[in-house]
Amino acid sequence: MARIIRWVSKKSGKKWIHPIDTPLDKGDEIVKQVGTKTKVVGVTKVFIPNPLHPIVPYHVLILQDEHGSRMPKKTMKEYKIGDVYEDKPNKDENAIAAIKIKYDYLEAVDEALELIGDVKVTAKTRILIKPNASIPAYAYLGMCTNPKTMEALIQALLKRGAKAENITIAEQSFFLPLEKAAAKSGLPELIAKYKVNYVDISQTKFEEKKIREFTFKVSMLPQEFDLRFNVPVIKTDMQLGMDGAFENLTRFLEKQNFLEFAKNPKKAALALSVLPQALPSFITIGDASIGAQGNGPGEHGEPGFFNLIFAARNPVVHDAAVAKVFCLRIPPYIELAGKLGQGEYDIKKIEFVGNEYEALRRDVKQPIGSALLKEGL
Amino acid sequence: MEPRYVRGVGMTRFSVDDRSTISTSQEAVSKALADADMKVADIDAVVLSTEDTRVNDERQRHYSAMLASILKRKIPIIRVEAVCGGGGAAFWSACRMKYNNMLVLGVDKVACSPTPLVTKEIMNAGDNFWEQEEGLVFPAINALVAQQHFTQYGTTHEDLELISFKNHSNGALNPNAYFYKRPITLDTIKKGPMVASPFTLFDCSISVNGAAAAIISHDEGEIKVKASALNTDRLAPFERESLTEWKACTLAAKEAFKQADLSPKDIHVAEIHDAFTIVELIAYEDLGFAKKGEGAKLIRDGTVNLDGKMPVNTSGGLKARGHPISPTGVAQIVEIADQLRNKCGDRQVSSPKYGLAHNVGGAGGTISVHIFGKR
Repeated sequence: MARIIRWVSKKSGKKWIHPIDTPLDKGDEIVKQVGTKTKVVGVTKVFIPNPLHPIVPYHVLILQDEHGSRMPKKTMKEYKIGDVYEDKPNKDENAIAAIKIKYDYLEAVDEALELIGDVKVTAKTRILIKPNASIPAYAYLGMCTNPKTMEALIQALLKRGAKAENITIAEQSFFLPLEKAAAKSGLPELIAKYKVNYVDISQTKFEEKKIREFTFKVSMLPQEFDLRFNVPVIKTDMQLGMDGAFENLTRFLEKQNFLEFAKNPKKAALALSVLPQALPSFITIGDASIGAQGNGPGEHGEPGFFNLIFAARNPVVHDAAVAKVFCLRIPPYIELAGKLGQGEYDIKKIEFVGNEYEALRRDVKQPIGSALLKEGL
Repeated sequence: MEPRYVRGVGMTRFSVDDRSTISTSQEAVSKALADADMKVADIDAVVLSTEDTRVNDERQRHYSAMLASILKRKIPIIRVEAVCGGGGAAFWSACRMKYNNMLVLGVDKVACSPTPLVTKEIMNAGDNFWEQEEGLVFPAINALVAQQHFTQYGTTHEDLELISFKNHSNGALNPNAYFYKRPITLDTIKKGPMVASPFTLFDCSISVNGAAAAIISHDEGEIKVKASALNTDRLAPFERESLTEWKACTLAAKEAFKQADLSPKDIHVAEIHDAFTIVELIAYEDLGFAKKGEGAKLIRDGTVNLDGKMPVNTSGGLKARGHPISPTGVAQIVEIADQLRNKCGDRQVSSPKYGLAHNVGGAGGTISVHIFGKR
């Protein structure tokens, strides 16, 4: 389904297409209205490309919901006026949900979860969330997971019945004390607001896991949870090509173990390709609301206002699909992970829900000079 | 509104020439001053409209001060922004100011990058998350409006082709038009390549560069500003009550005719914002020249042709004169002022007394309506 969101005045019935945090008229109350039964009331086929929409022709539909609200929707498929428009959830490991944020992060994250077949949550479910908050930078620089995405995920879980005391956010920084690294990420405020738990992974117990020729010392923390979310911010990277689900898991490694791998970029990439096997499974919520493009963190990368939320059950599927959406080469370590049977990396075999692959594709500034990307593994 | 008179107008030819806005501003202002028989020193204040585009080589965001550099005057200069409706909005603002001699200038340089970049730049006038992210470029927005009009009222693409043909025929007669001496046949229009169905290339105006200026004054002149009205509506057409009626236009038109104490039947010549052919057609209805749903009748029966009862877009309109964004609204006023003074040569309408200029920003977000009368 597509979600048509409106913010409606209880007093006047006026509708807004963007949130009204502060009602303009004194005493008014704004309620959110979400329409999901959508039909096509207008169709145009567009033949002129632009950098945001480089692949033509594409179609733009006008959808109308059960409340009479309308929204445009880009698609590569042919529709006609009167057709019903719906997205069906796909639980498959090869599926990825890609949702465009319409001002409202909760709706985007909620829809993304729904479209990968949703998650079962009870008041007793122990939930781990691993954001990217290891660089002391504001989220608008595209270096950290957006706290709005994090908040939306917490809200979506609470909405499904989770208890805040059973939700834990965990992160580690290899180069700074975590409280300094995460100070600008918005996480401390979020943790205080929702009274969820916060764990510095460096302070947890680690165990050795041997995967192929690599010996990992990984945190035992994830094993304590029933449901785990990996919430990376999507970044291009001078070294790795792209940081996504795989890279975000590196901070479950013990620091010295990580630094050993990091000495040799090629070896690090090879190790990265099997790292998920050393950990329990995570659902990835890819935060591409504000990502980074160009050479990435510390290398004059710049924010990319991509306005997208991804969700996938498999990290290979996630990272391969995201790379292709942004017209990046699939990082060699992801390809290798796919070849080792950890997940699908062939874009033709990955199922997109929410938005179609071809309809999403757009160029971002490439990470120039990555030896890994040039030479491969 | 206190009485205002158009004392002088001037514009550059609208073209794709790689001229700086400094150069086009100079030309338009000097022509307007000459037309008004004034000097730069006579100007008391300026209202400027220009876009902050990223697709040209100018990188100049503080154009009011740039204009002070060009004019070498220390006077109030302010900038008014309403994208494609900026020129009309600037004129509307100037009409409400107390200064005696006011210069209104629209200037832009948009035809200087590949079309995809210009398309994206113009798309920035739509809602970021609902429209831009969904590929709703301006031809697509207006194509959807056309489709709704076709469905509701039985208008056809042939009607829009006639509008395109009319405006191209007029533009071929206008030395300031991009398509001057380059008429386009109806057959060519019918075979135009698809841009956003049902729109072809010939339903869309052409992006050009240029400048247009008008000098208005409390001092009496040949052309009186009979009415000056402006209204705004929600940014995105899909969030409005109707896709086929642009309420900002109906409200501005109602106000304008009231101010002028005239009715639509009194208008002899009009410049209507035809960024897309459907915009001209629905404006026939929203301005009151036709009943709702019956706009196509005016093009079918020739009412709006150069030799019709009320010629529309004698300049060629945005379609054939060209659409440089901010200068458009001022260029419409240049054309109406010249028509009322019988200065339009081969495209001159027979002794018009009242003329109307209709300028649109975005997809009906900001709309100004001005009515002018020969004193």
